[in-house]
Amino acid sequence: MSRLRVLAGPELNAGAESFAAHTQRLGAPQSTGRPLIETLVRSELTGRGGASFPVGVKWRSVVAAKGSPVVIANGAEGEPQSHKDKLLMATRPHLVLDGAFIAARTVHARQVVLYIGEEHKAPWAAMARALNERPEGERRIARIVAAPHRYVAGDSSAAVHLIDDGVATPTTTPPSTHERGIDGSPTLVQNVETLAHIALIARYGDSWYRSAGRRGAAGTVLVTMAGGVKHAGVLEVEAGTTVEEAVAMAGGVSEPASAVLIGGYFGAWVNAAKAWDLPLDNASLQTRGLSLGCGVVGVLPAARCGVCDTSRIMRYLALESSAQCGPCFFGLRALSDACSRIAERGANRDDLARLKKWALEVPGRGACKHPDGAVMFLRSALSTFADEFAGHPAHWRQQPA
Amino acid sequence: MSTQLLWYTTRGAGAVSLILLSAVVILGVLSSLRVQSAGWPRFLTTGLHLNLALMTVVFLALHIVTAVVDPFTHLGWLVAVVPFSSYYRTLWLGLGTIAFELLAAIVVTSLLRGFIGPAAWRAVHWLAYGSWPIAVIHGFGTGTDAWSVWFLVLSILCISAVAIAVAYRLVNRAGDPLSAARTEFRAGVARRPDR
Repeated sequence: MSRLRVLAGPELNAGAESFAAHTQRLGAPQSTGRPLIETLVRSELTGRGGASFPVGVKWRSVVAAKGSPVVIANGAEGEPQSHKDKLLMATRPHLVLDGAFIAARTVHARQVVLYIGEEHKAPWAAMARALNERPEGERRIARIVAAPHRYVAGDSSAAVHLIDDGVATPTTTPPSTHERGIDGSPTLVQNVETLAHIALIARYGDSWYRSAGRRGAAGTVLVTMAGGVKHAGVLEVEAGTTVEEAVAMAGGVSEPASAVLIGGYFGAWVNAAKAWDLPLDNASLQTRGLSLGCGVVGVLPAARCGVCDTSRIMRYLALESSAQCGPCFFGLRALSDACSRIAERGANRDDLARLKKWALEVPGRGACKHPDGAVMFLRSALSTFADEFAGHPAHWRQQPA
Repeated sequence: MSTQLLWYTTRGAGAVSLILLSAVVILGVLSSLRVQSAGWPRFLTTGLHLNLALMTVVFLALHIVTAVVDPFTHLGWLVAVVPFSSYYRTLWLGLGTIAFELLAAIVVTSLLRGFIGPAAWRAVHWLAYGSWPIAVIHGFGTGTDAWSVWFLVLSILCISAVAIAVAYRLVNRAGDPLSAARTEFRAGVARRPDR
């Protein structure tokens, strides 16, 4: 398995690296304060939670905002196919904590919240143990908060909403959480993988960070290889590595593939033939209308039906709507029902026309991006599996979930 | 431009503004009932409410600008902003200024809703119940056409339409069809973290 930087060090099945081992291997981080923010800007590091927001820009805005900031390390990882955050927290908890406390020192935060999915038992235990090994000054300002096991709970505004009011549902943006978050204070929410990269950038600098990366991309990225590959699981690859190369690192395809899901459930299906050459780098994916999202690369074997799998995922996303906005709650249900009818009873022109029409009406009408992400996913399915949707047989029940 | 034309424009734009504003109020009052059918999707109510409100502002601007620039009136620009500063029909014209300013506050806060937040927006939006009646009174008090038959019929139609909409709304308090689903979802995501 490929593990270049944030996953480097002792074997991963040895469990969490202790504070002593971590400090001996990497030394103490050097850089904090204003110079670090400029280093992060130059590194071009972007957030790894899914939205790929530039890290340096976010830190600048937290420092500029009025109020005493809070840092949230986001380890909710609600994306069902993604495992990289769980693996990172379970094996390299001190790299994540380094990043979180470096962030706290840099933006002068009064508090650090470790926001961890309540169902992630091993990562939770590793993080709790690691926190206990930290110096008193760090332990005093930190606490762990359980993220409910729901898809939307990983949204940064949902994290703030939970910590403030006890309800992990997203709230309207703007203002974004880095402008107005916990108790109205600027709140720096960063995904745990992002924090791990920050911990290394604070030690080795931005040119070191950019020295990895291929085809013009910078740094390394954690991806979760899922579906029809021989060894499904997490890989750390250089940014810009192609899908084909990443699949090869995962042992190759287990059987011929028809399509690849890039970026998880908020991502997009791409025809296998077109997908192999795609670089795993958010900037270049965006020029193609795609996104790396949380780094899931799901390979669909040709024997599986893209319509049925799309239908299952749409059902999941519809049920994960937090029922705050009508267009999301009713819209995603209607879209999911139309998908299910095609999957269960076979192709029909009415439902196909409805899907195409409604998919244009839903985006942008919710407080958060949940409906937008679901619809983007659906639209990629409608174009990638255009023939399958048009001539789908009624075979939903015959295929295992 | 002839002075006559300006004067006719002021009166015409005033009457059109009254019709539009009444339609906006009716759509706003009824929007919480969440009326929908195959031919009238839900967003049509809010979309129409919004677009008619913006159109009202355009006709109000025409109404005010033509009245002020009309050399015959000698009103001056201050009248458009400061209530009761007019030598001419001080009270009735001042009510028009107030109605306009309330409406402007509603429109501006609606355009900035993302920044000021839904609570502040909603509070300001209640001013609509002040703006519309004041505008109607302004029409009767100042209006050159106030006692002409066509304007009377128009005003009565607008007043009764708004009254019917408000009464209908008070009688039919539609529940939030999302509230049950929202409560159920929140039960799954609610945790009170130790502070």
